[in-house]
Amino acid sequence: MKSFINKSRVKSPWLIHFDCGSCNGCDIEVLACLTPVYDIERFGILNVGNPKHADILVVTGTVNHRNKKALRNVYDQMPEPKVVVAVGACGTTGGIFREAYNVVGGVDKIIPVDAYVSGCAAKPESIIDGVIIALGKLAEKGKKVDQGIFERLENTQNFIKNR
Amino acid sequence: MSMNEVIAVLAAIFVAPIIGGIVAGIDRKVTARLQGRYGPPLLQPFYDVFKLFGKEKMIVNYWQIICAYMYLAADVLTVVLLALQSDLLLIFFVLAVGGVFLVIGALAAESPYSQIGAQRELIQMLTYEPLLILVFVGIYLETGSFKISDIIANYHEPLLLSLPLLFVVLGYALVIKLKKSPFDIATSHHAHQEIVKGVLTEYSGPYLAIIEISHWYETVFILGLCALFWHTNFIWMAVLLVVTYFGEVLVDNICARLTWRWMLPHAWTGGLIMSFANYFWIYEKIK
Amino acid sequence: MVDSLIGISILLPFIAGALCFFTKNHRVRAAIIVTTGIILTISSLMIFQNLNGPYLYTPETLLGLKVNSLITFADFALLFIILAIAFKLGNPLVIVLTLLQIIPLAYFELKMAPHVEVTPALYIDNLSIIMNLIISIVGSLICIFGIRYMEEHEHHLHLKKSRQPRFFFFLVMFLGAMNGLVFANNLLWLYFFWEVTTFCSFMLIGHDKTEIAIRNATRALWMNMTGGVAFVAAIIFIYYNTQSMEYLSLQALINHGPEVMTALLLPFALLCFAGFTKAAQVPFQSWLCGAMVAPTPVSALLHSSTMVKAGVYIVVRMAPGYQGTFLSTMVATFGAFTFLTASALAVNMSNGKKILAYSTIANLGLIIACAGINTPAAIIAAVLLIIFHAISKGLLFLCVGTIEHAIGSRDIEDMRGLYNSMPAVSRITIIGILTMMLPPFGALMSKWMAIEAAANIPWVVVMIALGSGLTVLFWARWAGIFVSGPHLKVFESQGKEGFFAPLVTIFKGFYTKAKWKDPASIKVPLVSLAIGAIILSLSVPWLYTFLVDPVLSCYKPGLFVEPFKTGPMGFTSGAGAFYVLPVFLVSIIAYLAAVVAAKQKDHRVFSAPYMCGEQYADIAEPKFRSHLNNWTNYVPANIYMQDIIGESKISYWINIIALIILIVLFGEVLR
Repeated sequence: MKSFINKSRVKSPWLIHFDCGSCNGCDIEVLACLTPVYDIERFGILNVGNPKHADILVVTGTVNHRNKKALRNVYDQMPEPKVVVAVGACGTTGGIFREAYNVVGGVDKIIPVDAYVSGCAAKPESIIDGVIIALGKLAEKGKKVDQGIFERLENTQNFIKNR
Repeated sequence: MSMNEVIAVLAAIFVAPIIGGIVAGIDRKVTARLQGRYGPPLLQPFYDVFKLFGKEKMIVNYWQIICAYMYLAADVLTVVLLALQSDLLLIFFVLAVGGVFLVIGALAAESPYSQIGAQRELIQMLTYEPLLILVFVGIYLETGSFKISDIIANYHEPLLLSLPLLFVVLGYALVIKLKKSPFDIATSHHAHQEIVKGVLTEYSGPYLAIIEISHWYETVFILGLCALFWHTNFIWMAVLLVVTYFGEVLVDNICARLTWRWMLPHAWTGGLIMSFANYFWIYEKIK
Repeated sequence: MVDSLIGISILLPFIAGALCFFTKNHRVRAAIIVTTGIILTISSLMIFQNLNGPYLYTPETLLGLKVNSLITFADFALLFIILAIAFKLGNPLVIVLTLLQIIPLAYFELKMAPHVEVTPALYIDNLSIIMNLIISIVGSLICIFGIRYMEEHEHHLHLKKSRQPRFFFFLVMFLGAMNGLVFANNLLWLYFFWEVTTFCSFMLIGHDKTEIAIRNATRALWMNMTGGVAFVAAIIFIYYNTQSMEYLSLQALINHGPEVMTALLLPFALLCFAGFTKAAQVPFQSWLCGAMVAPTPVSALLHSSTMVKAGVYIVVRMAPGYQGTFLSTMVATFGAFTFLTASALAVNMSNGKKILAYSTIANLGLIIACAGINTPAAIIAAVLLIIFHAISKGLLFLCVGTIEHAIGSRDIEDMRGLYNSMPAVSRITIIGILTMMLPPFGALMSKWMAIEAAANIPWVVVMIALGSGLTVLFWARWAGIFVSGPHLKVFESQGKEGFFAPLVTIFKGFYTKAKWKDPASIKVPLVSLAIGAIILSLSVPWLYTFLVDPVLSCYKPGLFVEPFKTGPMGFTSGAGAFYVLPVFLVSIIAYLAAVVAAKQKDHRVFSAPYMCGEQYADIAEPKFRSHLNNWTNYVPANIYMQDIIGESKISYWINIIALIILIVLFGEVLR
């Protein structure tokens, strides 16, 4: 039973797409994954609009001071196990906006990131690749959840404190 | 209870969700093909549900849990009563219990999305419930009984041939009940885009899984209801079910979403006119 | 034995009412009311116990006076009092309607048929007993609820001089009048009690003496007076058409031979019309909605056990009399139309009491439709509906009254999340709502019977189907509103875990630490009605066998067909089956499983609702971050469909259509 659940986690990742402050280049590429050309539903991946249903948080764009709270809230509202994929140059490091006065930086300044996807804009293939890498981590985290270890609050808070 | 009844109950409880899940899988596969995609594996709904069972339990308040369980119980009971060939109206009322608890659970969270979803779900219930009662009354007028067992025992012609218009009404009601486009107003299957997830927004993890399983039971109930329209011949029954369900999926894929302001008056007037025409037909035939 | 019990049931409330009127000490008054309630309950139970078949009784004298002349005298006295009030109100309509009763009645009593003696004057069968039980038990509980309620009510109004004596005078007297009404067999006696209820309701609705209260009371008076006029006309036409005193006995009227059917059709139609006005059917619905201005015990009493129930009682009682006629079909159509339209109107109400009012009208419409369908199964449905509606609706009114005193509003939007501040009352209200709308509870079971009975008249069943869809809409969202809110950990006791936590939860809800502070006179009626509603629904096969089924056997001799068979599972009829106990069992198991699952000791996170990541840090507060980092409250609201079926929009057309149905009804009868 537990092994089937664990298998299901990898086979049915629902992802929520969060646009921090992207130029929409990466967003279009994320949505392109849904189209018949790439059809990520082959892997059971669904794009959901609600963090409470999601397993994977896909973040595009740089984090700024205004939306970092929203990003953290959305992340907090995702039930365990969950993973984060940072997409694009801005999502991973802050990109060309890195030095701007209102920019915090990459997504990993606010929440723990499990997979980074490079590119400006990131190609759909590489986004899918990033998600598949994140699925490996999802399975690992899933095993912890099965043992009754929920790291969500402490882990996140420690992570942010240590920044 | 005889042996047959025990088997029927057990089948309703344990086999129905498997059938419902597979039908949901076929649904997704067919939808993908209609959209020119490859689509998920056939067992994808099972993966989804088992994954949800493995998620952390996250709730807004305890009432959601109560409501999710009551919803499941009502839907299981619906299918069990169908398997026991009991009273159509009773089955219908038990089905309504499920809907009511789904709505109460959605209203329990103070989220605007689930609240609006709940209101729309209520309006959808308001739309399809009278239509279903009209269909059942039509079946009664034709066969003289509300009990499925009596209908099967005493009526030896396909119901579809004497109640064609009511079958259309039933199909109409089922599009609304199954929340297929153009009536995926309260919540949507496609890309989860209508008011976030509407009535299901605040159910998550295992509780969403419970609701998903209830949906499977509902699907089985609905197929059972359609099967009643050709209960005399197994092959024709299968054909009817396949055609009906494919019709629903097709409509789902070719329609844009409509508002409840369109749905309510049109479904009621259309349903009423067709029901009355069919009642009239039955009266003429009896005469 | 039964004679004296009947005497107690009718006279005790009148005496107790008078005592209340003259007692200035409110403790003594409370004691009188509670004692009266207890005695009435015991006496009605004892009548039920001692009754084997119909019981006939004609009281000859009371304190040395002839009862018959006494009632005639009281009748005229009452009419003249109403006339005086009408002059004081300066309302020409009421004056005319009163005169229209006094003059024909005087002509009838003095000229046409002086000294009418009808035996038996009282006729007690199972239908009367059911009504008597409802009136005595539910009515008494409402009166007891009123004791403390009126204290708080007057406290809110800052009255210098208490007006409670007058209030309880009419409230308690109402019970006696109703008991008399359901026992009476002599139509003239029935008419007297009929007018007493009209008068009492007028006094009670206008109790607060505000401008709107007086206006609504006047409206209630004139609408019920039209019913009174129809009643007098019916009595005169019975005598005039048949030239015989015999049919002034209700039983003779119902069990008439086929040869007098045409002669009696008009009186039947007139009596049904009187019933419609009293039961506030469209187009007379406005008086019952206006009655909402009265203190809650009044509305609870008018809606659940008395007044409107008198209207449906007379229609259901006479049903076998007009069976198979055009009138019967029209009554069914009229009732179903009321059910549909009143349910539609209830959907666009946000005032809790008005929702209840329209729902009452709708249910009465359904009862009347059942009477019009006029098969044994339909009559059973009507009687069961009367019982279950009385209990659930009485309960709901008391709940809304309690809530109104606590939060100062009766708007359902203000009841959002009330479970967090008043868990106990909210739970009871939810029970009340669920007993009104869901299987396996009695109200829905009766609806099942009604639909199956109506299935042969397509337009009636269509209206009932549409109406029942609408009822689900407004009940479900009201129930949902109560629990709509965050979870409050402060009220949850953390100590008990494991086996006890679910057990405690079942009886005390999720907020075990929250205290229910209301006094006993409010707690007892609420809890006993809630428990009664559930137990009665559960024991409905028993109820059917012992109480409701005998209604049919003494309903009309020779008509006896048992429409339903009871078994351990529930009901089966020729065309259907309703399994009460299995559905109950599954619901209870599901509820227990849910509670156990909810109180399981494992990892669980309470989270704020999804607000696009902009929710407030404290999950107990519904706020979101808006522009300029402001925290903004949000309030979700219901869809009331005001623009489609708004009360002001469709009431006019509803009244017109209802009038047309009534005109067709009378036109066909007169033809």
